[in-house]
Amino acid sequence: MSGLVMPPSTQSGAGAGSGPDSGPGGDQMIVAEGVSKSFGSVHALDSVSVSARRGTVLALLGHNGAGKTTLVNILTTSLPLSSGRARVAGYDVTREPFEIRRRIGLTGQFASVDTQLSGRDNLVLIARLLGAGRRAARSRADDLLELFELTTVADRRASGYSGGLRRRLDLAVSLVGGPRVIFLDEPTTGLDPSSRLKLWEIVEGLVQQGATVLLTTQYLEEADRLADSITVLSAGKVVASGTADELKATVGRRTVTLTLDGDDAPARAGAALRGAGFAPVGGEDGTRSLVVPIDTTREIADVIRTLDQASVEATELTFGEPTLDDVYLTLAEQHARTPA
Amino acid sequence: MTTHLTPAPRPAAPVAVALEAPDFGGSSFVGQVRVLTGRSLRAMVTDPGIVLFGLIQPVVILFVLTQVFSKMGMPPHFPEGVSYLDFVLPAVLVDNAAQSAMQSGVGLVEDLRNGVVARLRSLPVHPGALLVARSLVGLVRSAVQILVIMVLAMTVLGYSPNGGVAELALSAGLTLFLSFALGWAFIAAGAWLRRAEPLQNLALIVIFPLMFASSAYVPVADLPGWLAAVAQVNPLTYAIDATRALALDVPGLDHAIPALVIGGVISAAGVFAALAGFRRPL
Repeated sequence: MSGLVMPPSTQSGAGAGSGPDSGPGGDQMIVAEGVSKSFGSVHALDSVSVSARRGTVLALLGHNGAGKTTLVNILTTSLPLSSGRARVAGYDVTREPFEIRRRIGLTGQFASVDTQLSGRDNLVLIARLLGAGRRAARSRADDLLELFELTTVADRRASGYSGGLRRRLDLAVSLVGGPRVIFLDEPTTGLDPSSRLKLWEIVEGLVQQGATVLLTTQYLEEADRLADSITVLSAGKVVASGTADELKATVGRRTVTLTLDGDDAPARAGAALRGAGFAPVGGEDGTRSLVVPIDTTREIADVIRTLDQASVEATELTFGEPTLDDVYLTLAEQHARTPA
Repeated sequence: MTTHLTPAPRPAAPVAVALEAPDFGGSSFVGQVRVLTGRSLRAMVTDPGIVLFGLIQPVVILFVLTQVFSKMGMPPHFPEGVSYLDFVLPAVLVDNAAQSAMQSGVGLVEDLRNGVVARLRSLPVHPGALLVARSLVGLVRSAVQILVIMVLAMTVLGYSPNGGVAELALSAGLTLFLSFALGWAFIAAGAWLRRAEPLQNLALIVIFPLMFASSAYVPVADLPGWLAAVAQVNPLTYAIDATRALALDVPGLDHAIPALVIGGVISAAGVFAALAGFRRPL
C-alpha cells in the first residue's frame, strides 16, 4: 500500500482565508461530541463523537443505513441534532448555522445541480447567491470549469451530462465559495475507476492546500488512500476509530509468503524460521509455500537472512498488509454478535 | 474598470484555484430572491414549452365553449349586448391563473426532488428566498399567458370587451393577484406533499369542479338551484365576477372587495404554511 496520504506538516491556510475563516476553536475544524439523532423511535445516531484537525481527511466508513449521511446532514446544518454538541470551523451547528454554511462545501450522495441549467450557469448561480457580482461570478465559474475539465460541456444543459460529469460539476459547485471544510458524502459511488482516481487526486490536492475533508464511503480502498483517520459506524454507533494502520493492527497481521524450490526446502526453511523466533505456517504435505506472520516491515530482512543462513532459496517472496476489508468484516462480525 | 480585465496569472498548482475564492461578501434576502427568480426565468426562456403547455387547457376550454355554446340560445340572465366569447374570456383567464399557480407548486416540487433545495440548504441562503422566487416566476408566467390568450382571443376569435384599456389592465391585474394567491396555496401544498402527482390531482379535484360551480361559464342565476347555492359561496365566483365586470363594463364590480380579501387571506395562509412545510428536513 503505497497510496496512504501523509498528514500535511503545516497548518497554513494557503493564504486565501482571511481572519474569520480560521474561526474560533483553534485547530479542530470538525468536532461532534455525543451526537444523537432519533427519527421517532429509530435511533439513527447514538452518541457519536468524531473530530478532524485542519488539513486532514476524516473518513466515515459504514454500510448503508449506518448513519453516515445523517451525521453529514447534522454537521452541514441541514438536520437538527437530538442531543449532543457539534462544531464545524469553530461554529456551533445549532446556534450559528449560517456561519458554518459560509465556510463549507457539500457534495451529497446525489448530485445537487439544477439540471435545467448549463454547467456554467449552475456555477454562476451559486457564486451569485454567495454575493458575487456578475463578472466575479463568471470568472469564478471559468476557473472551476477549467479545474474540473468541464470547459467543453460548460454550456450544455446539465440534464444531458453523464453521471461522472454531473458528479464533477456537483463537486465544482460545492467549491464555488472556496470552502475550508468540505463534506463529501459517498463522492465516488457509481463512478468509473478513472473518474474515481481523478476525484481522489483532487481531494488530495485540496487537503494539501489546507482544506479539511470529511468523507463518507463504503469503499475501504478509498478510506485507505485518502483518510488520515477513519471512524467506522455501524447502526448509528462508532465501533472503531483510528488511523488505517491502527485499525489494521487491531485485527490482521502483516505476512511474508515464501514459495520454495526443492523437495526438502519447505521443511528446512520452516525449521530455520522457527529457530529464529518466527511462527511460519504451511510447508507440510508437499506444499511449497510458507506464510510467516511478522510485526514490522524490518522483519522481512530477518526472514531473508534466516533463509540465506539455512541455504534455502525462495523462488518467490511476497509481502502482505492486512486490508481494511479484514478490519471492516471483523468489526461488523463482532458488532453483529453483540447486539445493542 | 479596464484593470479588472487583465487575466490573473495562472496558479502553479491548478487545484489551488478551488480554495482561492474571493470573499463574495454574502447576499441579502432580496438579492437571493432576484438571483433565484432569474434562474427560473432563464429556464423558462430556454424551455418555453412549460409556458405553452400551461396554455393548453385554458385555450382548449375557450375554443370548445365558444364553438359549442355560441350556436345555442343565451340563458335568460345573460347580460345584454355581450357575446358568449366576451362573457367567458375573463373566466378562462382566471382558470389559466389557477393552472399557472399549480405550476408554481410543481416547480417547487422539482427543486425539492432534483437536489436544488439540498444544495441551497448547504449555503447561507434564506429558506424563504426560493419560495418567493417561485411565486414571482409564477406571476411572470401568468402575465405572459394572459397576454397571449387576450391577443389570441382578440385577433383570431374576435374578443371585443366593452371596457377601456385601463379597465382591461385592472381586470388583468386582479387576475394576476388571484394567480399570486393561489400560487402560494400551491407552493404550500408542494412544500408539504413534495410530489407532483398529488399536486396535479389536487388541482384537478379542486379547481376543475370549482370552475364549473361558479359564474365562469353560465350566469349564477341560470344555474340549477343547488349549483347556484355552491356558486354563490365559491371564491372563484367573486374573482370572475369582478374581473368580468371590469373587462366588459357589466355589473358585478361589488365583488372586487370580497375577491381581494379572499385572495389576501389565501396568500397569507399560503406563505405561512409554505414556510412551515418547507423547513422540514428533506
